[in-house]
Amino acid sequence: MKSLQWKARFLLAIIGLGAALSCASVIKAEAAALTDQDVISGIAGPKTDEIAAKGDPGADLTGTVNDVTIADSKKGLTLADLANQAGQNKVAINFVWTLVTGFLVMFMQAGFALVETGLIRAKNANHTMMMNFMVYGLGLFAYYVCGFAIQMGGSGPIANLGGTYPLNSEHVVQAFGKPWGLFGTKGFFLQGSTYDVGVMVLFLFQMVFMDTATTIVTGSCAERWKYSAFCVSTIGLGALVYPLFGNWAWGGGWLSQLGANFGLGHGYCDFAGSGVVHAVGGITGLAVAMQLGPRLGKFNRDGTPNVIPGHDIVLVLTGCFILAFGWFGFNPGSTLGASGNGCLRIGSIAVNTMLAGCTGSFAALLYMWMRYGKPDASMAGNGLLAGLVAITAPSGFVNPLAACIIGWIAGILVCLAVEFFDRVPRVDDPVGAISVHGVNGLWGVLSVGLFADGRSNYGGSWNGVAGSVKGLFYGDPGQLVAQLVGISTLVGVIFTLSFLWNWLVDVFVGQRCNPKSELAGLDIPEMGALCYPDFQLKTQDYAVASSSNGPVSSASVVKH
Amino acid sequence: MRLIGIAVIVGGWLITVGGLLMTSSTMGRMVFACIGIGVSVLGILKVLNGYYLARAIWKK
Repeated sequence: MKSLQWKARFLLAIIGLGAALSCASVIKAEAAALTDQDVISGIAGPKTDEIAAKGDPGADLTGTVNDVTIADSKKGLTLADLANQAGQNKVAINFVWTLVTGFLVMFMQAGFALVETGLIRAKNANHTMMMNFMVYGLGLFAYYVCGFAIQMGGSGPIANLGGTYPLNSEHVVQAFGKPWGLFGTKGFFLQGSTYDVGVMVLFLFQMVFMDTATTIVTGSCAERWKYSAFCVSTIGLGALVYPLFGNWAWGGGWLSQLGANFGLGHGYCDFAGSGVVHAVGGITGLAVAMQLGPRLGKFNRDGTPNVIPGHDIVLVLTGCFILAFGWFGFNPGSTLGASGNGCLRIGSIAVNTMLAGCTGSFAALLYMWMRYGKPDASMAGNGLLAGLVAITAPSGFVNPLAACIIGWIAGILVCLAVEFFDRVPRVDDPVGAISVHGVNGLWGVLSVGLFADGRSNYGGSWNGVAGSVKGLFYGDPGQLVAQLVGISTLVGVIFTLSFLWNWLVDVFVGQRCNPKSELAGLDIPEMGALCYPDFQLKTQDYAVASSSNGPVSSASVVKH
Repeated sequence: MRLIGIAVIVGGWLITVGGLLMTSSTMGRMVFACIGIGVSVLGILKVLNGYYLARAIWKK
């Protein structure tokens, strides 16, 4: 009886095994059928001969399923084809956005050239224009050779640009139990794996930013800088000094990791470069201007400053408008895309940019009007630029009201700073570049730590820390500390590097042109041609007005 | 004098970074950072600029 039971159990087991095997084959067949179902049928695009005959004036027939790239024409349209097309569209949108905004930033060079040239005397116009012109070529080449690699060589993947996976090598040192990213090591000459479509887009965008920083220096050193010294100085800034701070802030370096390593908010946050671009340029301008000394005639023997007016306010204000236009590339473009990861915030960033520039110019105009009795055109222009500089770092993190406040403070700050540099340390800054870009660049960095409202969301985290960036007024004092560390680094390290590099330039090339050339105007001695050959130039115009009670930089042209 | 100025400027930054390592208090780090920035600014505008002002072209 017992053996019969065992036989029955054995028989049942055989039957069960057979059933299981047959079920498995059915499931396998169904799986194969599912793969075939990936092929999408029933979606028919418009007939091409119909479009050929009638055209498509209503845009109903263009951009349909016909335009989806099919990997295997025998198989037809599949889900994979649609997914790949969607991914490529996202990256394409972001590529186009980043490139076009980069082109806008490149055009800012023209704005800088006009502003600076308008604010200096006509006898130096060719020289100043040529400095602004050549920062593009010199800076670009230095950045291509090594600057980009140092800055972004270890930045890691950037999802908006399809990965940029080759930028994966950062030189990190371990000190005090923490990793300190110092510089990138991939991307020299854009060779090897960095010959990559995403990396190229990033290079172009970062390059024009670097160029903005280098062109700031030419303003603070105008009318007395030897052209050869300018060339060497610019190469150093584009190849080394700017990229180092760029790496620390944007390339995965130690400042960006202050949040992850020290618990300071989201680490140093600089959305579009108040610190990386403008403060670096302004602080370098201060370092070089100090070494150069003031223009002949800027200060009297007792140290009181004289006004040295610019020669063309039309150039100045046209340049300001061009810069304001370019800033819509500078700030909104810094999302590096318009699709995915919170990039739709570009509208808010553009509005913030516009508002801060507006309140900056308004505040500067009112300040000058109330203090000196006239609405000063050049300081209104500088106020606009100061507001734009200040909103650059916080533009992606703050609301419109905060943008207005930041811009307003910047407009006042630039007026005070211009007076301060002329009267206290007596640093001659012909166009107010140190005040506009240096002082307000630092103010912009600080304002992130105050006004960031925690409402932005760029993919759920920033600098490797989850959540949104919040400033002191929204409950995170740690973010303010991270911003202060960034400011300290700009003032303590970047100034020193710029100073040392330009000290070397002074020793080996000589920074300042000779007094005869300066008095005659630098156009002929330095450049060999006048900017305005048919004009009669006034060459001894520096002792225009003793300004014991007036604005003293040539950034201001009010007569008192 | 220029080297002293540079030493003061870099010293300011070291105070800031030292503050990060010496305390974990946010307020403490903020105080260190502010002192560091102040020292660096002093180094630039007073010490280093003082060297150049002493040799300024308009004084001759």
